[in-house]
Amino acid sequence: MKNRTTRFLITSLIGVALLCVCVFSVFALHMSSQSARTINEVGTLYMSSMSQQISIHFESIIGLQMDQLRTLADTIPSDVVHKDKAMQQELIEGAKARDFSYLAFYSSDGSFEMLYGSQLTVTDPEPFLASLREDHRKVAIGTNAEGEKVILLGMPSPHPPTQEHNCAALVVGLPVSYISDNLSLEENNERAYSFIIRRDGSYVIRSNDAYRNNYFERVRVIYQDVNGMTPDEYIQALGAAMAEGVDYSNEFTMEEERYHLYCTHLPYSEWYLITFMPYGAMDTIVTGFSHQWGTLTVLSGTIILAALLLVFYKYFGLTQQQLREVEEARQSAEEAQEAAEEARKEAEHANRAKSEFLSNMSHDIRTPMNAIVGMTAIATANIDNLQQVRNCLKKITLSSKHLLGLINDVLDMSKIESGKMTLNLDQVSLREVIEGIVSICQPQVKAKHQQFDVFIHDITTENVLCDSVRLNQVLLNLLSNAIKFTPEEGEIHVALYEEESPKGEDYIRVHIQVRDNGIGMSPDFQRRIFDSFAREDSARVHRTEGTGLGMAITKYIVVDAMGGTIDVESRQGKGTQFNVTLDMEKALVMEEDMILPNWNMLVVDDDRQLCESTADSLSSIGVNAEWTLDGETAVEMVMKRHHRREDYHIILLDWKLPGMDGIATARRIRQETGGNTPILLISAYDWGEIEQEAQEAGISGFISKPLFKSTLFNSLRQFSGLPQAAAEEPKEHGRDLAGRRILVAEDNELNWEIASELLSEEGLVLDWAENGQICVEMLQASPVGFYDAVLMDVRMPVMGGYEATQVIRSLEREDKDLPIIAMTADAFAEDVKRSLDCGMNAHVAKPIDVREVMRLLAKFIP
Amino acid sequence: MTLKECYAAMGGNYDEVMGRLRSERLVQKFVLKFLDDGSFDLLCRSMEGADYEEAFRAAHTIKGVCSNLAFNELLDSGSQLTEALRGGNCGPEVERLYEQVKADYARTVQAIRAFQEGAGG
Repeated sequence: MKNRTTRFLITSLIGVALLCVCVFSVFALHMSSQSARTINEVGTLYMSSMSQQISIHFESIIGLQMDQLRTLADTIPSDVVHKDKAMQQELIEGAKARDFSYLAFYSSDGSFEMLYGSQLTVTDPEPFLASLREDHRKVAIGTNAEGEKVILLGMPSPHPPTQEHNCAALVVGLPVSYISDNLSLEENNERAYSFIIRRDGSYVIRSNDAYRNNYFERVRVIYQDVNGMTPDEYIQALGAAMAEGVDYSNEFTMEEERYHLYCTHLPYSEWYLITFMPYGAMDTIVTGFSHQWGTLTVLSGTIILAALLLVFYKYFGLTQQQLREVEEARQSAEEAQEAAEEARKEAEHANRAKSEFLSNMSHDIRTPMNAIVGMTAIATANIDNLQQVRNCLKKITLSSKHLLGLINDVLDMSKIESGKMTLNLDQVSLREVIEGIVSICQPQVKAKHQQFDVFIHDITTENVLCDSVRLNQVLLNLLSNAIKFTPEEGEIHVALYEEESPKGEDYIRVHIQVRDNGIGMSPDFQRRIFDSFAREDSARVHRTEGTGLGMAITKYIVVDAMGGTIDVESRQGKGTQFNVTLDMEKALVMEEDMILPNWNMLVVDDDRQLCESTADSLSSIGVNAEWTLDGETAVEMVMKRHHRREDYHIILLDWKLPGMDGIATARRIRQETGGNTPILLISAYDWGEIEQEAQEAGISGFISKPLFKSTLFNSLRQFSGLPQAAAEEPKEHGRDLAGRRILVAEDNELNWEIASELLSEEGLVLDWAENGQICVEMLQASPVGFYDAVLMDVRMPVMGGYEATQVIRSLEREDKDLPIIAMTADAFAEDVKRSLDCGMNAHVAKPIDVREVMRLLAKFIP
Repeated sequence: MTLKECYAAMGGNYDEVMGRLRSERLVQKFVLKFLDDGSFDLLCRSMEGADYEEAFRAAHTIKGVCSNLAFNELLDSGSQLTEALRGGNCGPEVERLYEQVKADYARTVQAIRAFQEGAGG
């Protein structure tokens, strides 16, 4: 397409250019031939008019002289013979007055009778004499005695010749120069010149350079070409024209120059005037014009060609442009098509994924729904069989929960897909998050007998800004997957560490790794794991339930919402590791000033990283920590210090140690040193099952993994004498009621015990009155001010609370107005009112709320 | 059977009671003591003797104990019975609610016994 257009353009350009050249050449040729003809025509016109001018001029000059001569001749009386001297003298005077150089009588026999001037002879007397005889005036040429040429004017005698005289005419002579000067034959201009010849070609008056006596001879010698004729032909043609008495015009080349000639007859004579003009003059003009014309032609041709070229060039450019545009349009169309194709494939893929998902989901939803429907039916059929119904309900609850999880996932996903998932940033303690996760996962891990460990290290910032719900969701998802896809007795590790964030000082980069040695994933599935609705569809995982949305949601939360990264490494049959990296803003709260006394501590754990990290954390809160990896070494270290009397202040022991385990180690330490150094057992597990054994071995307490700085601080502060966990449980009453004595009127022993237990912990001293009556009696029996307050049950046998209160208030004692607080299972507004009406200070409802009770006691005890 | 499962079996709220008493040991202690509590016997005796006032007080006590221990199912029926008996009345509902309380109590005790056996004492 492109080549064809180019070829067409070039071909047509060359064609048009050639056409231009041809047309202009033809034009130029035509013009040059036209100009030659024009020169010829102009020359002929010019020469003929010039020759006629000369001829007329000649006629008038000669005519004038002839008139003079006639006037002179007329003076001759007819009766006087020419021999008359007086008359001759008169003639001579007349002639001289008229400037004639010669005067003579011309006799019929052709002889001159000179009146004055030297003797003349006529060069060609015959025609002259013949004309005179015929009474015609005539001009002829003659020579004088000195041989100079003289113009002779003959006037026939008015008197016929007689016997006495044979005078035929009166003749006067003039110098040749008279005519040539008057006719300006040569000085007309330098280019044109003329001469006069006779019919036989002999010169009458010749030009300067013509040295021959006959023009025709000159022609034969000098003329090279007379317009295609030979000189002889030309002479013949000229002679014929002369004989016919018409003008003749032609052009010839002489001495390499072209001339125009014009021949015309002169009146009063047998003479012919031939005028020449070289083409030079006209040639110059016409050639100049023709040159100009040629130049103009070439110029205009060039201009037209240039314009054509320009037009072609522009057109070519335009074509190219169009071609390019067409090409571009084609390309973009192709791209659009490809994109459309891509989008179509993607849509198809998504659609397929959604269909798969729907079919999976319908199965997944159907399963718990079937259970719910079925169980409901069974329960209905066995409505009287309590055990069966309960069993059914339990299964229904489980299925409902599962169903709810599925629906939540789907809802989350639709939130994500519609872009409506937003984060609620709040201050989050990583320690709490991890502890929460651990406690949630603990039962599942236990149920599958899996090993579960949490490792943390390099945690510099515990409090960050994050959406705790979503962070929990991510961790739970990863962990529950790990648990789900790891067989029994498998291992699950969670690692958490921090490093500086590239986002700046206000941020911290948190790495979370969840690793298991479970069934792993195929490489193909690893690529799709974060897609929506992806679920590995193989026999191994067919039984595993779930929407397949979990990882898509996780990825969305981590990557899109929180701006972090998540990747997965997995090998089938080997296990899976998920790495999550998040840049979190550090929470701007002042972290509690955590400083412990300058203790020496020992950390014993088989995990080197944990030891180092814990030692670091401890030294950052002011504790000097040493560590070792096994129980035996630990015992040695403790012994060494013991002998130096520099016992460790506190020892942290991992429960599970290679060789001697934590409990055995503690036992050994207790045996060897016998001291009461606090020994804390580190465990990621619920220690309820080993509590007994541990206590017997001399373990002072437990500390739960992971060992955050704050975990360490909060667990260890109790041994420092610092106020315990003040930050965690701020006491609202703000007053220490320790040692205050409270009388509790409560008919039910169980309730009494509960109240006693809870309130004793607050430092109160409690006495029990089993009913209102006893309560009043005990109060009366006590010294004034012995009891600081009474907690009064309302419903009691013998004497109820209302009654007892009224009795107390009416006692004759200084402390009869001591605070009495109603404590009852009745919580209606009228109950409260009644309590207050009968003199009680306040009313609390069962179940007993220690904080509320303490608050009220603090309020009313002075 | 764990304590938590025991609570689940009787329809109580383990988390609630743990929130209040804070120690599984305490909860366990009081739960086991519930078996010795005489309020239910008193309720039964009073109902049989048509002493509705005494029955009301007994129901009320049961309500208080259950409330403290978060035995919510028994608490619920006990509360309803308490309200039905309030003022010494014996409305038409009393008999039905009494039966309900008996059933709930039986289940609660059954759960605690199961737990007691499971806990080895």
